[in-house]
Amino acid sequence: MNPAPNNNTNDLVTLRVLGGAFNSIAREMAEVLYRMSNSSIIRESEDLGCGIFDATGRELCESETSPMHIGSIPFYIRGVLKKLEGDIDEGDIIIHNHPYFGASHTPDLAVIQPIFVDGNLVGFTGATAHLIDVGAAVPGLNTDLIDIFGEGTLYNGIKLFRKGKRNEDVWSILADSVRTPDMNAGDIEAMIAATRRGRDRFLELASRYGLDVVLSAANHWMDYSEQRLREAIRQIPDGDYQAESWLDNDGRNFEVPLKVKVTVMVRGDEVTIDLTGSADETSTAFNVPFDGSLKVACYYAVRTLLLDQALLEEFVPQNDGMFRPVKVEAPLGSIFNPRYPRACFARMAQCQRLIDCIIRALAPVIPERVTAGNAASVTSASYSGFDEAKGQYWVCVEVNEGSYGARATKDGLDTVDNLMANTRNVPCEELEMHYPLRVERYEMRSDSPGAGMWRGGVGHVREVRFLVDGFFSCNGDRFIEAPAGIFGGADGRPGSLTCNPDTDTAEAWPSKVSGYAVKAGALIQVMSPNSAGYGDPLKRAPQHVVEDWLDDIVSIEEAEQHYGIAIDPQTGAIDEERTAKLRSGDDA
Amino acid sequence: MKRVGIDVGGTHTDLVLFDDEDHTLSVLKVPTSVDDPARASLDALAQLCEDAGCNVGDLDYFMHGTTIATNIVLERNGAKTGLVTTEGFRDILHIARHKRPQTFSLQLDLPWQSHPMVPRRRRFAVRERVCGPDGEVLTPLDEEQMRSVAQRLKETGVEAVSICFMFSFLNPVNEIRAREIIEEEAPGIFVTTSHEVVPQYREYERFSTTTLNAFVGPKTSAYLRRMEGELRKSGLKAPLHLMQSSGGCATVDAASRKPVSLLLSGPVGGLLGGIWCGKSAGVDNVISLDVGGTSADIGVAPGGEMQFKHLLNTQIADYHAMIPMAEVDAIGAGGGSIAYLDAGGQFQVGPRSAGANPGPACYGLGGSEPTATDCLVALGWIDPARFLGGRLPLNGDLARQAIEKHLAGPIGSSVEEAASGAIRILTHNMVQAIEVNSVRRGYDPRDFALVAFGGAGSVFAAAIATELSIAKVIIPTAPGLTSALGLLAADISYDSGQTVMTDTADPDFEALQSAYEALESDARSQLARDGFAEGQIRLLRYADCRYLGQGYELRAEAGGGPVDEKFAAHLRKSFDRAHHRAYGSSFPDKAVQIVNARVVAVGNIPELPVKSDVDGGSTGQTPEPRTTAPAAFHFDGRIQIVDTQRFRRTDLASGHRIEGPAIIEQMDTTTVIPPNRTATVDHAGNIIIPIAGGM
Repeated sequence: MNPAPNNNTNDLVTLRVLGGAFNSIAREMAEVLYRMSNSSIIRESEDLGCGIFDATGRELCESETSPMHIGSIPFYIRGVLKKLEGDIDEGDIIIHNHPYFGASHTPDLAVIQPIFVDGNLVGFTGATAHLIDVGAAVPGLNTDLIDIFGEGTLYNGIKLFRKGKRNEDVWSILADSVRTPDMNAGDIEAMIAATRRGRDRFLELASRYGLDVVLSAANHWMDYSEQRLREAIRQIPDGDYQAESWLDNDGRNFEVPLKVKVTVMVRGDEVTIDLTGSADETSTAFNVPFDGSLKVACYYAVRTLLLDQALLEEFVPQNDGMFRPVKVEAPLGSIFNPRYPRACFARMAQCQRLIDCIIRALAPVIPERVTAGNAASVTSASYSGFDEAKGQYWVCVEVNEGSYGARATKDGLDTVDNLMANTRNVPCEELEMHYPLRVERYEMRSDSPGAGMWRGGVGHVREVRFLVDGFFSCNGDRFIEAPAGIFGGADGRPGSLTCNPDTDTAEAWPSKVSGYAVKAGALIQVMSPNSAGYGDPLKRAPQHVVEDWLDDIVSIEEAEQHYGIAIDPQTGAIDEERTAKLRSGDDA
Repeated sequence: MKRVGIDVGGTHTDLVLFDDEDHTLSVLKVPTSVDDPARASLDALAQLCEDAGCNVGDLDYFMHGTTIATNIVLERNGAKTGLVTTEGFRDILHIARHKRPQTFSLQLDLPWQSHPMVPRRRRFAVRERVCGPDGEVLTPLDEEQMRSVAQRLKETGVEAVSICFMFSFLNPVNEIRAREIIEEEAPGIFVTTSHEVVPQYREYERFSTTTLNAFVGPKTSAYLRRMEGELRKSGLKAPLHLMQSSGGCATVDAASRKPVSLLLSGPVGGLLGGIWCGKSAGVDNVISLDVGGTSADIGVAPGGEMQFKHLLNTQIADYHAMIPMAEVDAIGAGGGSIAYLDAGGQFQVGPRSAGANPGPACYGLGGSEPTATDCLVALGWIDPARFLGGRLPLNGDLARQAIEKHLAGPIGSSVEEAASGAIRILTHNMVQAIEVNSVRRGYDPRDFALVAFGGAGSVFAAAIATELSIAKVIIPTAPGLTSALGLLAADISYDSGQTVMTDTADPDFEALQSAYEALESDARSQLARDGFAEGQIRLLRYADCRYLGQGYELRAEAGGGPVDEKFAAHLRKSFDRAHHRAYGSSFPDKAVQIVNARVVAVGNIPELPVKSDVDGGSTGQTPEPRTTAPAAFHFDGRIQIVDTQRFRRTDLASGHRIEGPAIIEQMDTTTVIPPNRTATVDHAGNIIIPIAGGM
């Protein structure tokens, strides 16, 4: 569907050109950022976001990178405006990472440049990226903190450039307060280049088409996306839909699981996501910033379920319009709306789980659009150490993938970044070229996913050996509760973290680890969850079970027990008679 | 000099022969012999030489573009392939970069998982390991295990094997040994190793590229070897060159070992041809649209410059191929696209195609489903008696019957309405694809000309340009042969590189010098074998560089002469400039790391001249139409059957002016001028249809 037709075809063309140009600018910004940057989490994982925003922070467009970033930049800009409104000049470049003023979490630093036309502030370009280290309590990732000040240096609307002039004092603080000053400097330069590119491209559009035309096209596309989402919400019957789940723990009180309770309230063409009933805020960094993370996660879930790109023929841009029909509620003082100065470094697992709950809550009313229980995890792992020769730390962060639950007409996706995460992995060869680490295994898990008429996706296993003494941290979850099967499908399997697996010194570690000292030679194994099945496993097409057996995804025994399929291991043929018995339940 | 270009597509094989001495152009179009694509090419070449009054032995330049490798990937009918990889890394091809192609989706498929080139059961992991950063052999290849894997590969009946070991780009010793063992145990299998295909780091991209090479390898190399053998037999002395995805070329030997480099071979010829035609009409900003029997290729060339994909964005049908590729996109829309009602009763056209055999229903070769071509016949746009200049008479009744049975009957419409609907859907599909490549990238179509060619591009061009507000349409003089002409418009160029990790602060001059010398001497002798004299050869040095700490390189121009302080200083400045151009900033104080030395060697081919004899004495007086006959058009919101003038393209010359509705017929295509549009013929013989003004 195209934007509402206009009598003047020339206008219609201009609208489409500008809509295309916005998205192209966001993509170009992201390319500048990841190609120019230094740390592997940006240049390989693309843990970043870029976009253009109007003068009030409304999003015109965003890069298709990690959705956790991009939806958050409007809140960064509003955080910056809270402090600097009226004090923003042409040539300023502003940095920001304060989670209580809109930031997603402390390591995701934003670089924001105002755009001026004829002396008036007309908008912003922004880029956020995960900096490899921000001077928190331990290198890389942190969970066991007591407050926000343990997370690293907080920048609340700080001018890195003032009217085009470098503010050297700020650059000094940026370098002196972190473990990886060279890398951070290179990455921030890349973010500046990306925002500058965005600004220049926007100004080119404004001078060619006129600022009014550009801004009115931006409004038009926001309205268009909003209408499309409202239309889709209207298809769902009004009602309250609920789901619950339990997170492992907060990273210090390992025996205490934390409840996630989601109520999806559909009313006409609007939807409210209410987190009332979820756990209280934690005393560690396992809390979710309300604006910069929780809202972003809810927007992501609603858009993805209702305007699924794979089911749409036409391109519906992601912009401010997608946020308008969605309201988000979480009581102040809960894990989804913590009070200052609670730490909130580790927030991804909660966001992922709440999206998984939204999907499950809506399964009865939109069964063809949902998945069975997903890995809904991101097991982020950081490997670090101090390089005596260089006098600097080395830090490497790996965003481990997950898998997807099965769908109404097909299996779940294996070994892929899921839900809010959509990064690239760090190539094993990249890791070994630059860090004292060696990847010894990176493949699919060897145990089976949740059975079903359609099976769940298979998670991955990755084993990394430290070649020198160092530190290890992990922010993960979903090591206890498995992804839930739906419509008769079986549950998946949880993930795990193990030091020196299959040896006498093997140790199972919890999903959250903050700065464990690790000796040279230690092998760390990360496994992501296998996802859940959809529908009755006894209805799975026999040939699909045989294929899975040929590919070492289910064993002969599992084929019988879960799917009621008897396979002759010599020939691979199905024993029809035994299968019929197994499937009818007559097998004694 | 006599040059010949042969473009083998899925449906037709096109040949052009240009004689530089008397500026004559001979052309020929024949159906592709799908079972053995070499056969039609060879027969047609003999015919073409006879037409031009020369022998195959007289040819000086031979450039071949082929979609054979592309079609294997698109149709997923490559070799039964096995993978041998390092223990612990069995699923690199399945995991890919663990990123989804669509961010906001739960119902998506990952093509590398839903349609793997090598299913897991044929992925074998063996004990071996080379490690970074120096390429030390940590674990030698377990030869006994390798032998038993080779046996299993043989038992499984694989036709091709891809050997992909970790860090083989640093030290290929284990891959080489593994290849030897497979060749001993299972001779005759097409074996390809990752260090040969793409000796660069990032395991997924390298493994995927190598495995694609294996997947397309047996069929493509057999075809190339047969072509070359037969051409030599028929007396060809000129070297045979293959157009690569990058616009550069390859020898048969290189292309047989690395057929993955041919994935965009066909479409690149089209883009080069489109750019050349644009230039002949005085236009630089070109959108090229090449519509054949099965697919439509779309390229956007702002300023007449081919754009390149970033190495990490070079996919074909969602499989990664880390090789240099021009920006050309293909969709399944062509004259053979089948129109049908889907299970939900929705009207669809393509991507399924009737191909050349059985072809459209009107071919009378047994095709029963209606195709786009059948619809064009039913609308009266194609005169069945004059298809391919009358060489392939069509049966209009069969076309109408197929449409009636499969479309009009079930829908309850007239045949014309159903046919017009199918054509409008196909047009819309092409509009969408062009939009993604132009408008969505911020290029304004009002600044571009649509150069439409291939057998069917000029049928759709005016309607597409209208929908996208493209400034004007250019229909070249020989639309069906534009891709083949593009092959003649290219210089012979070779691009080669060697990894030399060093930095400008403390460069290893000796290593760099010897790398450049080796690359230059190889390239020079290759061009000498191609028949170029020293004076026709240009050697350009480049270096892929990055600031120390960055992960992606940029190509910077490097100076000639001895590699010394002066060379380093020049390169450093050149890289700073390249970085500034690409990213808007540069850091003259940061150390610069040189990653690869590169040489581009170009053998100059005289520019293909623009034909200018088309206005031979024309008075500007538009000739009488050959005839006037009814044709159906959709305008003013309904189907109208109107009397439509039919012109022979050969009757048209510079300055002529034709009011729509009109149809211009020529041997290899049909140009449709819709009602309310006016076409003119320019000085080079191109048909120009102004659409949205602008340029």
